[in-house]
Amino acid sequence: MKWYRYGVLLLVGMLTLGGSLAIAQPESPFKEQLVYSLTSFNGSSFSKNFCPQSEDTIYLIAHENSVVTPVKTIVYYWPITRRYMAGFSTLNERINGKLEIVHNGKVIATQPEQKYVLYYPKGYWSEKAVMYLDEEAENYYKKYKQAVDVFNQKLREYYQAMERYREVLNRFFEEVRRRREAGEEGPLNIPIPKEPKAPDFVDFYTSEPASGFILNLPPGKYEIRLRRDDGTIFEGSEKKLFVFTSRRKGGVGYEIIPGNRWTKKENCDDPSWIIHAVGKNDLYFNPYKQEEYNELYYNKLVDPQEIGRLERFKWVHIDPIENVTLLFGRGKEILQTVERTPYFVKQIPGPELGYEIIQYDEELKKKGYQPTFESYKVSLPPHLPKTDYQISLVSSGSGQPEEKSERTVRMLKKENAPYLYLVAFLPLFVGVVTIIGRATKIEK
Amino acid sequence: MMKNGKVMKTLLKRDLLYALYSWGYYGAIFASFLASSFLLKNFLDAIREEDILVSAFPLNYPLYITLIVISLYLVIMSAISISREREQGTLEVLFYGPVTPASFLWSRYLKDLTLGILALAFTALYFYVASVLTNLGFTIGLAKALIMGIFLISCVVSFGLFISSLTGRMRSSIITLMAILGAFLAIQFVYNMLLGIEKESLSPSLLYLRQTTSYLFRGINWISPFAYLSRGLDSVILENRTLYVTHVLYCVIYSLVFVFLSIYTMGKRGVKA
Repeated sequence: MKWYRYGVLLLVGMLTLGGSLAIAQPESPFKEQLVYSLTSFNGSSFSKNFCPQSEDTIYLIAHENSVVTPVKTIVYYWPITRRYMAGFSTLNERINGKLEIVHNGKVIATQPEQKYVLYYPKGYWSEKAVMYLDEEAENYYKKYKQAVDVFNQKLREYYQAMERYREVLNRFFEEVRRRREAGEEGPLNIPIPKEPKAPDFVDFYTSEPASGFILNLPPGKYEIRLRRDDGTIFEGSEKKLFVFTSRRKGGVGYEIIPGNRWTKKENCDDPSWIIHAVGKNDLYFNPYKQEEYNELYYNKLVDPQEIGRLERFKWVHIDPIENVTLLFGRGKEILQTVERTPYFVKQIPGPELGYEIIQYDEELKKKGYQPTFESYKVSLPPHLPKTDYQISLVSSGSGQPEEKSERTVRMLKKENAPYLYLVAFLPLFVGVVTIIGRATKIEK
Repeated sequence: MMKNGKVMKTLLKRDLLYALYSWGYYGAIFASFLASSFLLKNFLDAIREEDILVSAFPLNYPLYITLIVISLYLVIMSAISISREREQGTLEVLFYGPVTPASFLWSRYLKDLTLGILALAFTALYFYVASVLTNLGFTIGLAKALIMGIFLISCVVSFGLFISSLTGRMRSSIITLMAILGAFLAIQFVYNMLLGIEKESLSPSLLYLRQTTSYLFRGINWISPFAYLSRGLDSVILENRTLYVTHVLYCVIYSLVFVFLSIYTMGKRGVKA
């Protein structure tokens, strides 16, 4: 009868499990949430992201403007990337109120919303952006709109000029054909029509004015919350705020493109880092101004759902350094003086699947190619004595050295590596001499 | 006081000569250099022709290994000799004479420190020759790290003396010492290894292990002598003189605390096994 008992138990178990599964309805993956939309200063530009309810702390850089904007939106979990996503296009409801900043249990400021724009002096895709507030924000946006209007006007004129140009060109070809058919030989002396030049697009960009709470605080731990106009605190608006600063700043970091693998760049950011090489090499250096931040804080600043290690620090490239000359030398002797030059990566046709890095020139320009990258090229010839070399930057105008731009390029004598095992025997040799010496002394 | 100093000097000379005329000391240094040579050769082999490798102080890691091997050898040998003298009754005989726990333990501490400094002199020579051979660079940073090594050895030796003063028999002394120092090293090594891996690449079990070792590491941070070495080497890399001096001071305080604790424990516990 045992099988009968087990069967009943199994049935009861299945029914219980089935019942509990039926009762536990799957939770809806979409939730309406109050989130903080963030425009955080990241050292050179502004990172745009949002802080969902799952994250209790917002991280910001000290003494710089950043914007937090409370918004009601749809939040859902995206398991592939293991993070919460916001459906701003579905719901993007602004919450009215004032932002309170609390420090050590006291409200230290109550912020009203402010208008702001992001101004990109070298265009939308450039790495640098500046934030302007209130009236200045309006002015910068107007300036951009006016520049775009002027561009549009020039573009219209260009299209008209192109239309005229095509007509003139057709007449020109017609005339050439007619006179050639008439038997005329030699130069025809007909003026060649000149193609009109397309106008350059506006070289800067200003974002549309938006409003939010501007935070510019000294380093420390704070709390923020949104107080409604009726005096109550908006539920779910309380967040911790961690404002931090860099550990080290003011140095120069290098991005190095090795000639043999141009897609796999190396970084030489810390002044203590050394570039070790063993033979012939072409190295392309790109210098940056940089600052060193805590890895966890910085990653959380860029994306609150990102992870990081509290014990680690990372160098962040702030601005590319321009108008400098790179010096490569040994001791006080300068071996190469290098200027910034554009380069083009040319694929080598055939089965080798290789490439060649060549200097970008007029010929390539005429063919319509753009430079692949711009850099400072240092060539290490095959018979370069194997010792230490230095690279450093000096200002192209004044010749003043750039602070903390020195790095060592160390040429290693790899061929001597096996002898290292021999050196390890040194203490044994000393031991033999000492002990045998003593034994001999005692014997005597 | 004068008498104590004289006793200490006599004990120090006796123990120092005994260690210098034994194979073990040279064997330990040789083993540490062999490990360093292996690491350095691997580093050099990793750089291919027409390629580069960006790295800070490639000699620091071999130095770290060398320091650990040498200090472990010194501390274990010291623990063995104390326990042996205790077990054989030599310590009791000595203490009937003018020897006090303070003079005995200070002489042991200074003996180990002197042997450590001598080993570091060998290490400096080894790194210098290695640098000449391979151009890996004997830098000021390495010299600073070597000086910091003296203070690490001081920390390990004082910690070892304290453990030896607590335990009676030779076997228990060695097992306790190996277990504690091994645990310190293992926690630090596993934590640093897991810290180097991005969180996304870690399985949930490794993630928990990392969190656990993180708590353990924080717990032993001010007790483990090896943590002092790591912080000291970091201050060399950061080229921060204040931080460097602060770490040296921490090491001195650590050593003094443990030597005095050892003297106190031995005084209380007595010299019988």
